[in-house]
Amino acid sequence: MTQTLEESLFQRKQTAFLLSPDKAFAEMLQKLWSPDVLEFTVFEKGGNAIEHMFNEPPDLLVVDNRLDDISGQEVANLVKSENVYRQLPVVMCVDPIDVEEPWNWNKIEVDDFLVRPFNPSEVRDRINLTICRAMRALDANPLSKLPGNTSIIQRIQQLIDSSEDFALVYCDLDYFKSYNDKYGFSRGDEVLMMSARLIVNTIRSYQGVQSFVGHVGGDDFVYILPPDLAEKSCQRIIKDFDDIVPHFYDPEDRKRGNITSIDREGVTKVFPLMAISLAVVVNTDGRIKHYGEVSSIAMGLKKKAKEDPKSSYVIDQRKT
Amino acid sequence: MDNDLKTSIKGEILQVKDLPTLPHVLNEVTKLLEDPDASSEAIGKVISTDQVLSAKVLKMVNSPIYGFPGRISSIQHALVLLGFNVVRGIIISTSVFDMMVQAMKGLWEHSLGCATACNIIARRAGFEDPEEYAVAGLLHDLGKVVTAVQLPDLHKTISDTVLAKELTYFQAEKDVMGFGHDRINAWLARHWGLPPNIREAMSRHHTPQLAEFYKPMSCVVHVGDFLVRLFEFGNSGDDQTAYLRPEALIELKFKMTDLDKVMDEMAEQLIEVSDLTF
Repeated sequence: MTQTLEESLFQRKQTAFLLSPDKAFAEMLQKLWSPDVLEFTVFEKGGNAIEHMFNEPPDLLVVDNRLDDISGQEVANLVKSENVYRQLPVVMCVDPIDVEEPWNWNKIEVDDFLVRPFNPSEVRDRINLTICRAMRALDANPLSKLPGNTSIIQRIQQLIDSSEDFALVYCDLDYFKSYNDKYGFSRGDEVLMMSARLIVNTIRSYQGVQSFVGHVGGDDFVYILPPDLAEKSCQRIIKDFDDIVPHFYDPEDRKRGNITSIDREGVTKVFPLMAISLAVVVNTDGRIKHYGEVSSIAMGLKKKAKEDPKSSYVIDQRKT
Repeated sequence: MDNDLKTSIKGEILQVKDLPTLPHVLNEVTKLLEDPDASSEAIGKVISTDQVLSAKVLKMVNSPIYGFPGRISSIQHALVLLGFNVVRGIIISTSVFDMMVQAMKGLWEHSLGCATACNIIARRAGFEDPEEYAVAGLLHDLGKVVTAVQLPDLHKTISDTVLAKELTYFQAEKDVMGFGHDRINAWLARHWGLPPNIREAMSRHHTPQLAEFYKPMSCVVHVGDFLVRLFEFGNSGDDQTAYLRPEALIELKFKMTDLDKVMDEMAEQLIEVSDLTF
């Protein structure tokens, strides 16, 4: 209850809707967290909450099966059937008699449930876990399961705020699009999975240092390492990538060393095998103040790295 | 392991689970994995001397979980993509072969010798990625390991038949089981999602002329198997001379002088191989 946001498990204040006629339960929930950490808005009728929820979706929805105007299951399904709301975690509260028969959890797509009588410390941790799990799932790239943009930005800002030296390496694949066009997206996904795995293993092989790998989306990845390891890591990734990627082509294309693919204008064009371009932004002595600077420097460098059709890396040479 | 292969041979169940390996290779890899300075090249080199570890590593990296099934046929690439953690997991879950070390050692040497031969032959024939041919050579008798480990009684009957009827191990397998290790290889390779080139070479090394898609690799393993038997390096279950298919030499565009050159190189390298590992 006295916990501050910094001490909590969350990066920012969370909001929650409680849909329940059970006043004692509402009181208990509101005592478990400081409103600066997790703030509950209580609705005694389910119907009233729906519109609010659609206009301003909270970070968590707790639905009581004791609602008398609309069933808890119906509320849950309403949320989960809409793609824009389905990431919203839903916790269902039930009475023991409700769960005497097994539920079809494929039809009631909630994230967790609580059974009366409620034990406050269990409720607290089940809800904490549900929120943490939802944050992880929401941000992870659906293909590679690597952390996505929110986590990447957070991590960069954290490093800037703590004025730690770091190198951020921005990776993307050259001629990925023409590969995708020729071989189809599922073969394209294979290449992305391979690239993700290659980057993760290279970075993780540097033990005992702060590191991070994220998937911006598509064929764009980033990783963070201490500055002194950045160049070596680029060289290793390029070597392994260039060794492995030919195996993702059909034997004839591999032998020829290029693919023939038709571009948007319907013109037949020859494209080289995929390569990887790496742009390294080094932040030493607190030179960079905001994550936006990091990405704009990286974009500039990336253009430079891309000028070379072969795999290459460019390191930001600017001094403080 | 949920995806064990199970099949019945004359009423007995042949299943692939927990293939053990020789202690020294396992120790060596464990040691390297504990060394923070060890390179994946060094680890790959040691794993490439062991057919069971190599098979396990390739099975894992080609499983659908990683998202690129059937694409990776090089141990080196597999290590880069699996990472040391996963490899450590494979090592931990691999048991040692104490009981059968003596009985199986010949087969290990034969497989390693064949891998060496395949590498040399593939280079001589001017093929790209000779290491992949070596992998196929290394795994070409994996089916024999499976029978020996999972059905020791049947293995003994086969070995007895080899002696009694003066057959090759391959002929004796057919005599006893109704089919040979080439069939077991085909099951294993398909079940484990190994890349199609390795798969075909494993199942066609006795009949390379029947290979459909990767004839060159099947032929390389066929010739490698023949030559390593000629050298009497290791033992693959019998001491008969194998039959060398002329089609294989034609496919590789090999003349007798090429075989001579290959054998010269083998003589050199096999000494190193036996020094290193046995």
